[in-house]
Amino acid sequence: MSHFNAVTFAIVIGSFLIVTYIGFASARWRPAEDPMHLNEWGLGGRGFGSFVSWFLLGGDIYTAYTFIAVPALVYAAGAAGFYALSYTIMVFPIVFVFAPRLWSVARARGYVSPGDFVRGRHGSQGLGLAVATTGILATMPYIALQLVGIESVLTVMGIGSPSGSAWARDLPLIIAFAVTAAYTYLAGLRAPALIAFVKDILIYLTVIVAIIYIPSRIGGWGHIFGVASAHLKTVNPATGKPYGSLVVMPAGEWAFATLALGSALALFVYPHAVTGVFAAKRRDVIRRNAALLPAYSLVLGLIALFGYMARAVPAVNAGVKANGGNPQLSVPLLFAHMFPSWFAGVGDSAIIIGALVPAAVMSIAAANLFTRTVYKELLSPNATPAQETRVARLASLVMKVGALGFAVVLNKTFSINLQLLGGIWILQTFPAVVIGLYTRWFHRIALIIGWAVGMAYGTVEAYRTAGGGQAHFGASTTAVFGHVTYIALVALILNVAVSAVLTLVFRRIGLQDGYDETRPADYTADPETAPPTRAPAGASPAPGRPPVTARAHRAP
Amino acid sequence: MAKHAPAGRSPATWGVVTVLLIVAIIGTLWVPIYARPAPKLGPFPFFYWYQLIWVPVSAVLCWICYLMLRSKPRNRGIVPR
Repeated sequence: MSHFNAVTFAIVIGSFLIVTYIGFASARWRPAEDPMHLNEWGLGGRGFGSFVSWFLLGGDIYTAYTFIAVPALVYAAGAAGFYALSYTIMVFPIVFVFAPRLWSVARARGYVSPGDFVRGRHGSQGLGLAVATTGILATMPYIALQLVGIESVLTVMGIGSPSGSAWARDLPLIIAFAVTAAYTYLAGLRAPALIAFVKDILIYLTVIVAIIYIPSRIGGWGHIFGVASAHLKTVNPATGKPYGSLVVMPAGEWAFATLALGSALALFVYPHAVTGVFAAKRRDVIRRNAALLPAYSLVLGLIALFGYMARAVPAVNAGVKANGGNPQLSVPLLFAHMFPSWFAGVGDSAIIIGALVPAAVMSIAAANLFTRTVYKELLSPNATPAQETRVARLASLVMKVGALGFAVVLNKTFSINLQLLGGIWILQTFPAVVIGLYTRWFHRIALIIGWAVGMAYGTVEAYRTAGGGQAHFGASTTAVFGHVTYIALVALILNVAVSAVLTLVFRRIGLQDGYDETRPADYTADPETAPPTRAPAGASPAPGRPPVTARAHRAP
Repeated sequence: MAKHAPAGRSPATWGVVTVLLIVAIIGTLWVPIYARPAPKLGPFPFFYWYQLIWVPVSAVLCWICYLMLRSKPRNRGIVPR
């Protein structure tokens, strides 16, 4: 079972201190002439090349929660958990298509969040606000889940007393998060960009060692698949059906495919992924990374296999059972039982730091959304860049505190339910953001109503779905016309259908559409073709650096 | 063959890129292709090694598309300023 190990603990503390130092030092990395600008704090100077972007995006979208939850799902249900691999394979061809256009228009117009873009493209504050609210709502539980990931590592490490109040129990978590919040406040996106290097090196190291070392200790892959297969065939007394299967069954194929496709479409409309894209220096950086980021998918696939390895280690199964049958402990337990204590420390650090990087980027992304779409748009239209940056910094703190509250005070299941809802919600911004990159055929008000319908349907449907011992929010799939389908995708189809029909109606009755401030050339622009590359990012109004007055058209 | 794509890419180039990307997506979207245990690769059922191999395959397809679409390197002259 979980017990405290001084060596493991020392390694984890050591790597946390190193990362903390890097976080604070990153404020001086590629110094900007004017750090009090949202392009600097919120997007790291919009100057990351392929190399840094690869680490940042990889560190950002492959979150610690993924590294805990995907193997947990494989541990519990087998092949179904591999939808995550299929999804991360599909996501990059999709990103390849639309992300360069999104990058270009953001660069040309100075947008820092998807909310800005939607507001400018569709000429609709309301739609911008809808996208921003959805983004913030979906991001908050996502940050909370990073904490849940850290928690499962700490539980296995035997840190935090099981008794006492929630706040006392989670003190280590709170300290780790407060420190992260502090350097994010100070350095903005530069901090997670630099820390991502440490995270990724630790993750790759852990995965490569684990995938070679652990099977050799427990009887090889043949044995691992054998144990997994035997377990998955046994009948679950709670449901009367087998726990899962080693290969997706024909009945499960539709759910598997729609979950993978829906998640792939959703990933790059999440604000934190968009932030990573906007921070790139050049348009080609995005496409190059669409071909290079799959290296992380390979890692994800191998990590998913950890679920089967954990199943083949009796001590892990005993540990999971002793902790209320929580499969999320399977990976930390696997490290604790299979690795020497110092390397278990490396693996645990990888997960903990792997949680801090996305948490930081997510809070920055949500802060950018709030600042541009709510603060600047509604509260203080004449805010200077410095005021914007101050507001964004505070907003990032608020996001972190909120997420911490979620993770500590509320039931863990609640965060997981909300994350499930977040995936459904964020996909409802797809028409305004991604389809909006290609066409303005849809009427702005039709898009708002379509969004609302998709949100409402998705929320209600998720609420009505029982499963996994819960009466509500039990699963992310539901039966539609006899096919078990990912709710988010059904909601998206409904969303687009409603938007299309209403667009026709609104055109017919002559309802006025919004003003599009973007121009066709913006979508293929690559403004830094001849940048003053030698100068530090932010030196003088370089070409491509959006003019501060870009929004002059809003005069009445 | 490191040919630089011309500035205005031909419809043929876009056609090829579209096909390659669709292939990359369909490869794992169409689950019946790989939802089977055999043929095994060592102890790995087909379902697993197919997906793991598809990762580099889709990456290579994206890379080819990138090479076909990338902007001309260092073309001064055109740039104002």
